[in-house]
Amino acid sequence: MDAVTLEKDGAINLNGKTVRSDALELLSFQVALEKGYTLRSFFEMLDKYTLFAKLNAFFPTYTEQYRSCPGQGCDTGLVDYLEFGKTVEMIGAPDKRLEIYNALFGVHGSEASEIKSMQLDSLLDLPLRLGRLKHIVFGDRVDIFEFDTVYTLFELIDGIGWELGFHATPQHCELRR
Amino acid sequence: MFNKILFATTASPTCDNAAKVAFDLELKWDAKLYVFHVLGIPSRGYSPFITDVRTGELMEPDPDYIEWVKEEMKNTYDTLLADSENSVIEAAVGVPYREILRKARKEGIDLIIMGSHTRQEDVGATRYRNIVGSTMQRVAKSARCPVVIISRPCTTCWKLFSNIVFGTDFSKASDYAYQWAYKLAKEVGAKLHLFHACDLNTSAAGVVIDQSEIENQIAKAKEKIEKRYISKMNGYDNYEMEVREGIPYVEILKFAREKTGDLIVMAHHTKEVDPEEAVLGSTVEQVVLRSACPVASVNHPDKVADL
Repeated sequence: MDAVTLEKDGAINLNGKTVRSDALELLSFQVALEKGYTLRSFFEMLDKYTLFAKLNAFFPTYTEQYRSCPGQGCDTGLVDYLEFGKTVEMIGAPDKRLEIYNALFGVHGSEASEIKSMQLDSLLDLPLRLGRLKHIVFGDRVDIFEFDTVYTLFELIDGIGWELGFHATPQHCELRR
Repeated sequence: MFNKILFATTASPTCDNAAKVAFDLELKWDAKLYVFHVLGIPSRGYSPFITDVRTGELMEPDPDYIEWVKEEMKNTYDTLLADSENSVIEAAVGVPYREILRKARKEGIDLIIMGSHTRQEDVGATRYRNIVGSTMQRVAKSARCPVVIISRPCTTCWKLFSNIVFGTDFSKASDYAYQWAYKLAKEVGAKLHLFHACDLNTSAAGVVIDQSEIENQIAKAKEKIEKRYISKMNGYDNYEMEVREGIPYVEILKFAREKTGDLIVMAHHTKEVDPEEAVLGSTVEQVVLRSACPVASVNHPDKVADL
């Protein structure tokens, strides 16, 4: 399968060469992340390949926020790394259906934790990893099956964009207190 | 402003953020707070069994069981109840949205407070399920009083609200939402931000709207805001008007964040539709789930006109 490597400086590498311009045909390619890839690398990619930023309505807001964040040290230590994962969930009631979705979450120790209450400036320098596929059968969240899987570039961009669209922490409220 | 508040809860951690606001409001407004939980759905007509909404198990809802559920609710909210002066805990059996609406009507409730979900969801999963909880959706659609939906921790005390954002689509329901937002802003001394987003997404594919057309739309919207809302403010000058172009829910969320909004007030996204038939529009749903602050959905003039 066609594959690209996302480098930690935000560049996309195809067959050993750096892709120079927006290349929408790469969206269906399988991705691998270079060692040391972080959420900051992801935003650097959006800066380099500007068409990708049009895939989600919230990207302009978040790239703006990302530019105002410090150049390093954006990691509060609350989570060890970010994991981009895929879930296949078989649901039996009230109607039978199968859902397949991507999610971005934090991992601390071996525990997954929600990140939507964390500000971007505490996430940017966390390592980003691609996780295994989780298969949840009929709501059983204890015995979850896990499988190796692959992700396309589109899944990664779209999934992160979707997750960030729910990021809204009432920072001002906390400050006022 | 609020004499009776109904806090409709699942009595689970998903409603903890809403609980704090509900108990806070009870104290601030000296209101009576009904902490109300619908514990189970009848399995079928005349059946003695119910499906417990929390456990999914089949139960027999005898008075002892209901008392036990109430006791559980007291334990869940014990720290909040310790400071509460005028609250009652009630539980009922039935279809949740119907029972909540019935209770609100029976008690003449002025404000309903709810969480956005019955259960904790993965953000990724919300794409495939009802974006907001179906109970919340149905209550917001049919309630005769404003419904405040809380999906994030809100640490701002209600009476300290300093920025209320009112998003309008110039529908009739928006007029009711405006009345409520205006009265609340006046009452708590908050700045009222009147906001409209010109939806540029509705144009035909490939059609480029030129800048003069956008500016024309913005100017018209500003005129409408002047005429419909500002002219009715009777000298109240703590307000600001803003019109932007873009996707409405994205723009209102951005605006609320920029202005450090403490509350977003919106009507349903329906133009000139009978409130009884209005469904919670996509804009409100998107705002509810993504907003950092509480969102009030107002769809009916009843309780708004009484204020």
